[in-house]
Amino acid sequence: MLKICVQRRLTEFMLDVDVTCRYPVTAVYGPSGAGKTSLLNMVAGLLRPKKGEIALDGRTLFATTASIDLPPEQRSIGYVLQDDLLFPHLTVAANLRFGYDQLKPEERQCDFGQIVDLLDIWELLPRYPERLSGGERQRVALGRALLRSPALLLMDEPLASLDQGLKSRIIPYLRHVKRELQIPILYVTHSVAEILELTGQVIVLQRGQVIAHGDFFRIISQPRVMPLVEEHGFENVLKVETVGSQFADGTSWVRFFNQNLLVPHHGLPDGKQLFLGVRANDIALSRSLPDGISISNSLAGKVVEITEVSGSVLVYVDVGSRLAVKITGQSAKQMNLALGDKLYCLIKTHSFRIGPEVE
Amino acid sequence: MLSSEEWEIVWLSLQVAVFCVVVTLPFALFFGWLLARCQFRGKLFLDGLCHLPLVLPPVVTGYILLLLFGRHGVFGSLLDFMGIQLAFNWKGAVLASAVVAFPLFLRSVRLGIEDIDPRLEQVARTLGASPLRTFFDVTVRLAAPALSVGGLLAFARSLGEFGATITFVSNIAGQTRTIPTAIYSYLNQPGGDDSAMRLVLLSVVISFAAVIGSEWAARRYRRG
Repeated sequence: MLKICVQRRLTEFMLDVDVTCRYPVTAVYGPSGAGKTSLLNMVAGLLRPKKGEIALDGRTLFATTASIDLPPEQRSIGYVLQDDLLFPHLTVAANLRFGYDQLKPEERQCDFGQIVDLLDIWELLPRYPERLSGGERQRVALGRALLRSPALLLMDEPLASLDQGLKSRIIPYLRHVKRELQIPILYVTHSVAEILELTGQVIVLQRGQVIAHGDFFRIISQPRVMPLVEEHGFENVLKVETVGSQFADGTSWVRFFNQNLLVPHHGLPDGKQLFLGVRANDIALSRSLPDGISISNSLAGKVVEITEVSGSVLVYVDVGSRLAVKITGQSAKQMNLALGDKLYCLIKTHSFRIGPEVE
Repeated sequence: MLSSEEWEIVWLSLQVAVFCVVVTLPFALFFGWLLARCQFRGKLFLDGLCHLPLVLPPVVTGYILLLLFGRHGVFGSLLDFMGIQLAFNWKGAVLASAVVAFPLFLRSVRLGIEDIDPRLEQVARTLGASPLRTFFDVTVRLAAPALSVGGLLAFARSLGEFGATITFVSNIAGQTRTIPTAIYSYLNQPGGDDSAMRLVLLSVVISFAAVIGSEWAARRYRRG
């Protein structure tokens, strides 16, 4: 359990946070410049709060009342930043061993080989960081932080500098870390997709204030959270149940109300519930069920709300739960949409993002 | 080739220059780090003070040293009490060239440290490294090329030092006569042209070797 209660004046506003994280992975979400990195720096001991208290599993790291301020090296906190910041003068192996070698064997939670295996970086060991690709560097940085056997892992937009293809290749490694090592993680991101793929727990930060905290699916509809999420490409969240077969082409069926959806492979057994994400941008609307089309999923529903958002139109369709669909103003005009219209929402299989299991 | 007197001059010059680099290094490292990484009151004043020997005429620096470290100077009498004498011997020559070379060394180190992303040092701390280990294993290692260049500048400045040296420790054969002061003496001495020429040529060789050596060291150390 991580308790953070800190105050400090930042350049443009006051950072004033009082939260307690109880879950293995908590995401810190918010627009750029909301104070997310400053918050992490305070937890790591790199930035001193004006006042407050930080405690990890009952161990006080910082407390103004008791004049406690542990230096970063005594906090047992691993930190992975957006830029990987590998030591350029050391090989990958020496980078990985930087923190590991300083620990006594009994302090080590994991074995060198175990982490290298987990992150699949054996081949990189003798190389220097300048000879690695972006994704490789980020994996090494993650490994270096893990080998320090931290009691908490801080990650500051670790995937932000990678392109979409690399991101989707790193996320499975993060899931491995979450599942196998069980180190609690505080994960800064402004990507809803990453939140969905790693955790459901989120702290929403805006101008230094926590405006929402808790289960992403409960807080997303709050009036202050919604606009932030919409800014980054609105993400719909569906709660579905796994059913039956998984196909060799990497797809599987899930049940959503009384319809089946074909989605990317989720790796869960039958009868489990999980969350799916799909961007409002990635859904098409049709008045009739089209024939001879490659899109596998169609959800029937009624239009319940139409709003205009900066030139585009957001159409909310009730397909069991509300689904936001973003279409251009032109299409909306052509379709002549009205409340109560019956529509089909068409969604390609690979537009779905597999979210966490419902706990 | 060289007479024994000339060998003595070359040897003394090298000795002074090497000691100058060794003595200046820790100070340049400490103050370079202080000026690059720390914010404190009086930083501008310290900065100015450190750079003073760079802009002062060396003769003035030498004279100030004589006032401070001469037998009756503030530090001089203290050192004298401890049995150490600096004025008019080779240790004084080291001090004179160290003071004059210090700002060059410092500048180089400071720029080198400012070039290092401070977040690398922060990451080292979160990986469990103490401030001291962070300094030596990250900061110094990454500043190695700058250290090497700074060391070379200090070495060269010491080898060429004339004004402060001749004012502070004079030009005593076998004691404080380095290459520049020796060349000056030979040129004022009938029939000394050949000796002067040999020392000039040797200066070129030594300086060239120092440049190559510093470049080589920078590459090696960085890749330790």
